[in-house]
Amino acid sequence: MSDIEEAPRPRMGINWIGLATIIRREWARVWRVPIQAFLAPWISALLFIFIFGFVVGGRIRLIGGYHYITFVLPGVVMLNVVNAAFLQSTSQIYFQRFLRNIEEVLVAPLSYVEMIIGSLSMVVLRSMVTALGILAIGAAFGAVGLQSLPEFLFWIVIFGLLGIIVGLWAKNFEQLTVLNVFFITPFAMLGGAFFTVSMLPPWLHWLLYGNPFFYFINGLRHSMIGFSEASETFGMAFSLILCAVVGVIVWRLFAIGYGLRE
Amino acid sequence: MTPALSISHLTKRYRRGTLAVDDLSLSIAPGDFFGFLGPNGAGKSTTIHCVTGIATPTSGTIEVFGIDTVKDYREARRLIGLSPQEFNVDPFASARQIVDWMGGYFGLHAAQRKKRTDELMERFDFVEHQNKPFRELSGGLKRRVILARALIHDPKLLILDEPTAGVDVELRRDLWRYLGELNRDGTTILLTSHYLEEVERLCRTITIVAKGKISRQGPKEEFLKDGLENAYLAATGAEPDHIAGAA
Repeated sequence: MSDIEEAPRPRMGINWIGLATIIRREWARVWRVPIQAFLAPWISALLFIFIFGFVVGGRIRLIGGYHYITFVLPGVVMLNVVNAAFLQSTSQIYFQRFLRNIEEVLVAPLSYVEMIIGSLSMVVLRSMVTALGILAIGAAFGAVGLQSLPEFLFWIVIFGLLGIIVGLWAKNFEQLTVLNVFFITPFAMLGGAFFTVSMLPPWLHWLLYGNPFFYFINGLRHSMIGFSEASETFGMAFSLILCAVVGVIVWRLFAIGYGLRE
Repeated sequence: MTPALSISHLTKRYRRGTLAVDDLSLSIAPGDFFGFLGPNGAGKSTTIHCVTGIATPTSGTIEVFGIDTVKDYREARRLIGLSPQEFNVDPFASARQIVDWMGGYFGLHAAQRKKRTDELMERFDFVEHQNKPFRELSGGLKRRVILARALIHDPKLLILDEPTAGVDVELRRDLWRYLGELNRDGTTILLTSHYLEEVERLCRTITIVAKGKISRQGPKEEFLKDGLENAYLAATGAEPDHIAGAA
């Protein structure tokens, strides 16, 4: 027998080690596929920045007083960060369910909140590594860096939470892609990543003002270059409320064991 | 004395309507080696899943050493180690990672995890395979890793769901010796198995379930009067050999 059994078992507080283990496990899993996890978004961002910022952008006049590459970079960061956050959260939940190793966590003394925070921490970590790589690429092309980290993190968490919901809901690999294909990609592309509100005819302005991605891109752009086409306060309040609503939904799904427990 | 495991009126009905466990009650004394038998689909694994948190009971209460597994699930789970019937692991993770991560989930510090993982790898003889991905291990090695994973936090109640399925005779006998030692040292063990020889050799108390209900329970000696196999077949509603042969 080892000496562990002899040790007293005081009541557990927050299971920090368990929480860190979720992150360690996911980091090990992601590092098995570094090309897919990190190189792919970086190469994609490099191509976006080179083509839209350098080749096409070189022939476009200033937008809001900024070079096109500087204007486009926040949108490129957002597209890839959202994708990284979403892929991380869906894949970690769905593959654990698929392989049934989610049971390792279910039988352990981890609360639902700890499970969610552990998963989200890895979402933030992966998304931040992706974002830092893209910002480094952008800096090489003369674009500026990120200045408002809190709002940036809020949106990563929101898409991480949305990804967890899809990961819990999906019954097969096909369903995993549904939200990405029908919501994230079209809304992100139509959220003003590559154009301003004024470039659209007035009757199409609702496409931006009714699109949650517009406020993220706008907030991110404002935090990076000071250019904004909507209220910053509204964008932050909107992101906070969305984060809280999605967070409560995920907590509730974990509490009832939806997609997790038999 | 507080039972190691107390299940009271447990019912589990799945979302699609299947009644897997039907008003099942049982109690396991601390230090017991408890055989939990029954045919496939009798409700053994579902009962275990309800105890360990993999499944949510429809009704009834479960207590581990007096701790409610729903109301105080974190404290209850700290006392339980589970070696499941199926290999529920990340097949690309190494044997060492699988055991170490489980220690982490249970809140063991790095030094404790390393010491305990080394001990278990040594005991189950997979030191030289520790860095191989789980999917590359033989069936016997996989079973050893799963057992080591269940023991990483030194549980007071060890639940073994078909722990020797698919392993060779030598390993099976080695596992029997180890489980005997663990039990003598005070660990309460709940064992499900289709190998009646294994149950006869290891267990002191036996419960047989059929169709989600307990059909017979008692000390092993009571089952051995007519032979465990005949007692099992009678309790599960199947015909004993001598009757089937005479038909």
